[in-house]
Amino acid sequence: MKAFRITAHRTKWMVMAVITVATAALLSPWASSRPDGLERVAEDHGFLHQATAWNKLAPLPGYELTGMKWTAVSAGVAGLIGIAAMAIVLWGLTGFLTRSGGGRNGQSASGGD
Amino acid sequence: MHIPDGFLDAKTWIATTVIGAGAVSYSLRKSRLSLEPNKIPMVALIGAFVFAAQMINFPIAGATSGHFLGGAMTSILFGPWIGTIVMAAVLLVQAIVFQDGGITVLGANILCTGFIGSFTGYGIYMLGIRMFKGRGRAILTFIASWISIVAAASGVAALLALSGTFELATAMKAMVGWHMLIGIGEGVITMLVTGYLMERSTILARGGQTAYEGVPNNRA
Repeated sequence: MKAFRITAHRTKWMVMAVITVATAALLSPWASSRPDGLERVAEDHGFLHQATAWNKLAPLPGYELTGMKWTAVSAGVAGLIGIAAMAIVLWGLTGFLTRSGGGRNGQSASGGD
Repeated sequence: MHIPDGFLDAKTWIATTVIGAGAVSYSLRKSRLSLEPNKIPMVALIGAFVFAAQMINFPIAGATSGHFLGGAMTSILFGPWIGTIVMAAVLLVQAIVFQDGGITVLGANILCTGFIGSFTGYGIYMLGIRMFKGRGRAILTFIASWISIVAAASGVAALLALSGTFELATAMKAMVGWHMLIGIGEGVITMLVTGYLMERSTILARGGQTAYEGVPNNRA
């Protein structure tokens, strides 16, 4: 069987990083504001009004900076904050996972570091 | 298709919260055993990409809009357990920081767009790779990720029906109908990204490191 694996080419990952930052910062203001698939269905079948939000403490509700007049900048900055948060959360989590027992690479679970 | 608070009744959101938490903790255990340290930056970057791509709603038929989800893509790249973890992390950040997707329904969202999306996409992709011996990978990727969206939409429809929000047949028809269109975007993006980031592995062709690296990727 022919198998495929994820590339280790640094350049390709750099390109991916550039695409990610550009998407978050520059493309996000252009996103369609039409209702998404589920919202469309909810509207058509009359239960959209049931939607509430328990999380009143969200710092950036709706991907917008409160008090920012330029909506394009607001969406772009929200996008950048989002990708930074994602990278930090996942880096931390996967780092923790491999340290706490990523067995195959040397079993340094408890005594390694 | 992030479910907001209020769409699911108490029994449904409590049940999906419990099942979702179970699915995530089991995925964490599975990932811990299969994750190599050199993959950490890759997983973090793909997670960031999934978040960024999910922000971009593309208009559909003048009536609605859809966005990329990424469960199939992440699973094809890293395997479905890590795929589920990445999707859960994206949904968590979206719900907490951006109020996108509810808190009570976080478990339901993780189950539908994370778990179901990841495993359906990955399962169909791997089945196809085996059947066609690695040929036609691009088209397989497209089909697998398209189906993953339709499956996730069916999951959401089933939960809405279970909550008594509306009837199952109507829910299925409405959700699946729109997401058959939205899935096309998913298929194209997944095909492009995995096509760019994956390469043939030369298992056992050379010794040492290459052979070692080939093993988990062959599996994943």
